[in-house]
Amino acid sequence: MTDNTPLEQDESARGETADPTNDDMLVETDVAGAATETDQAAADTIIRSRDLDVFYGAERALDSIDIDIPENRVTAIIGPSGCGKSTFLRCVNRMNDRIDNCRVEGELSLRGKNVYDDDVDPVALRRRVGMVFQEPNPFPKSIYDNVAYGLEIQDVEGDHDELVEEALKRAALWDEVKDKLDSSGLDLSGGQQQRLCIARAIAVDPEVILMDEPASALDPVATSKIEDLIEELAEDYTVVIVTHNMQQAARISDKTAVFLTGGELVEFGDTNQIFENPDNQRVEDYITGKFG
Amino acid sequence: MATRTDSTFDGFGRVSRTAGTIFRYLLLAATLFGLVVMTILLVYVANDAFQPLTADTGWHATFLATLLVPTLAVAAYLYRESAAALRSGAYTVGLIVVSALFSGGVGMLFVDIVAPVEWFAVVVALVAPTAAVLAVVSRDHRLSFTAQFATAVVAFYVSLFGVPGPLGTVAGLPAVVPSVLDGILYAPYALDSWLIVTLTVGGPVAFLGGRFVAGDRGERVRNLVAGGVLAGVVVAAFLGPTVGVEPMPAAVVAAVGIAPPVVYAAGVAANREQERPGVLLPVVAVAGTAAGVVLTDAFGFAGPNSWVTWAFLTNPHSRFAEQAGFYPAIGGSILLMVAVAVLAFPVGVGAAVYLEEYAPNNRFKRLVDVNISNLAGVPSVVYGLLGLGIFVTYLGQAPGTILVGGATLGLLILPIVIISAREAIRSVPDDLRDASYGMGATRWQTVKNVVLPRSFSGILTGTILALGRAIGETAPLIMIGAPNVKFAIPTGFGEAASAMPLQVYAWSSLYAGEEFYQKVVPAGVVVLVAVLLAMNSIAIVLRNKYQSQD
Repeated sequence: MTDNTPLEQDESARGETADPTNDDMLVETDVAGAATETDQAAADTIIRSRDLDVFYGAERALDSIDIDIPENRVTAIIGPSGCGKSTFLRCVNRMNDRIDNCRVEGELSLRGKNVYDDDVDPVALRRRVGMVFQEPNPFPKSIYDNVAYGLEIQDVEGDHDELVEEALKRAALWDEVKDKLDSSGLDLSGGQQQRLCIARAIAVDPEVILMDEPASALDPVATSKIEDLIEELAEDYTVVIVTHNMQQAARISDKTAVFLTGGELVEFGDTNQIFENPDNQRVEDYITGKFG
Repeated sequence: MATRTDSTFDGFGRVSRTAGTIFRYLLLAATLFGLVVMTILLVYVANDAFQPLTADTGWHATFLATLLVPTLAVAAYLYRESAAALRSGAYTVGLIVVSALFSGGVGMLFVDIVAPVEWFAVVVALVAPTAAVLAVVSRDHRLSFTAQFATAVVAFYVSLFGVPGPLGTVAGLPAVVPSVLDGILYAPYALDSWLIVTLTVGGPVAFLGGRFVAGDRGERVRNLVAGGVLAGVVVAAFLGPTVGVEPMPAAVVAAVGIAPPVVYAAGVAANREQERPGVLLPVVAVAGTAAGVVLTDAFGFAGPNSWVTWAFLTNPHSRFAEQAGFYPAIGGSILLMVAVAVLAFPVGVGAAVYLEEYAPNNRFKRLVDVNISNLAGVPSVVYGLLGLGIFVTYLGQAPGTILVGGATLGLLILPIVIISAREAIRSVPDDLRDASYGMGATRWQTVKNVVLPRSFSGILTGTILALGRAIGETAPLIMIGAPNVKFAIPTGFGEAASAMPLQVYAWSSLYAGEEFYQKVVPAGVVVLVAVLLAMNSIAIVLRNKYQSQD
């Protein structure tokens, strides 16, 4: 019970702010219909950062990031190694809190509420923002228990058997595992394990799913399955995906953010525009493979 | 190219490796030094204890022919066929020996230390509320932690103390409902002790055995196997008297000594086709031993004049070397180990979890880190002084009781338990913690659901090895005034008791005499080392299981 209190505070705080993004929930359906034409104008911002700086000790990892990530879209973050892509992702659900010398300054808000405010409980935040990691990391438990993990710890109401089945179906894994739900999640192949992790994340019905290079450890066939899955998930969820693979970003994302060395967000816009006609010369060089 | 074969070409020359070779063999010598010295000592000790050379030549020849040659032949055959089969065969043989040792310990526990009825009452009084609490919690998922905790406290209180219990006694209320504990202890009708052993010891063995043998075959096979094991224990209890063994010890031997190797062999044969031939090894070893015993009896060959005899294991100390025995010391050591484990395990694991999962990385944590390592290096005699000071002088406990000894040895091994448990917790991949926190788990949920289950066998391994250190300690026991020699086996934690190393020390110092030095002391050492190895074997099994999971 105590775990939920800060979440409620969070929601009430949202109601009080005068931020226009408050009314998301009300206009959501209208927006989704109009969205296909011009993403930029139509989709509502769900994650917004202003002047976001992150330091590891004395070293700067992110340099005043301003970004507005739209709801129910796939937003890809690309850039060379060490440019702060994953750091940004881990700011959204405050996984950076687990790193001892990490310091965050500036604003990063989810539906208008700054997640770094003192009254935000990171545990409650993470219950609304799911995450899928680079290496598939299923628990050494049965397939069923893996998917039910979030349901158990969050005390989700309802029939867990049904919710597990639904999550596995949405993760396109049900047909492969329905006869062996009791066997260990570690017995699955790498691609299946990653889809299991996605099922685990969506079982608790989060608002945002963060993916940190989810396909980088997988073979091409497994990768394409994950990509199909991500496109389907975007119908109901906001997906933010970090990737090394520019083709992947071009294939699956609606919006693309390009981070370059030094933790700068150099350009952010519609994926087509970024890949076909970037404004920034450095972005063009990066995308055409002149460096990075 | 032609220059290569030219006679003027004298190769590439040679680089001297003399220094490297010398260094390499010095390193090898350093590696083996301790092992070789200790092996030589143990061979001497074993020779003194078992006196194998006093046996008839015929006895040796018989066992050579029935046991040694066939077993080695089978081992050589398995070695060529499949290494895995040889391993599981050797494992089964080891399990036979270790199970025999454990059945001796458990038998001793029920025959002389704890009355089976008391044991049964305690087990039921603890299991019943646990089951009740689990039932309540699983029926209502949404019970808050406070409510769950309160339910648990009430359930255990009622089960152990009754209503209104000691609280009511203080207030002057009469007892309304007796506790489960008293209910069983003072029930007009008590279960037979063999039945109690069958239920409380045979039950868990049967359950685990059923799971192991059944593998993926489902519930029916599992229940069948478990039922078979239980039936075997009951049959043993009934057959015991026909060979002069009481039903209760017979049930213990069947449940602890015989069932585990049989179940293991059956499981290997049923589940691992490749290792199936390995079962041949224990069969040949057991059959060879039996044949050897029968044949030497028939031919009248005398066995060795061993000092490790049934009498040595079951007698108390005596002034006469021939009658001197180890029984009270073995019992004392077993009870000491129970006390040490109960006291050191929760505290040590708790400290390890705190330091690894909760403590922020600051100066305080680093200070604690360093000093726990220092604590592990404090001489044991100083811990003895600590125990004497705290428990005997300050808290006024009687000197030399199991409780005081257990607490002192518990303090002694606490840093070792903490260090090894931290090692095990640290080896849990951070990926899994990330996964759990990423799902919105609290720290406690992550520790409970991910970290502890994953590191548990490693923690257990470290604790068992630390217990092995405690069982051999002599100095702290001397300091807290444990008696060197006790003639009766202790039956409670408040009683003064001797321990195996103390008894050996006493024999080698106080009761000077050739026979004691040369025969009784080696026999005692052999038993002590055997108990130690049996304990460590659990650690080894756990560690293997743990590693194969990764």
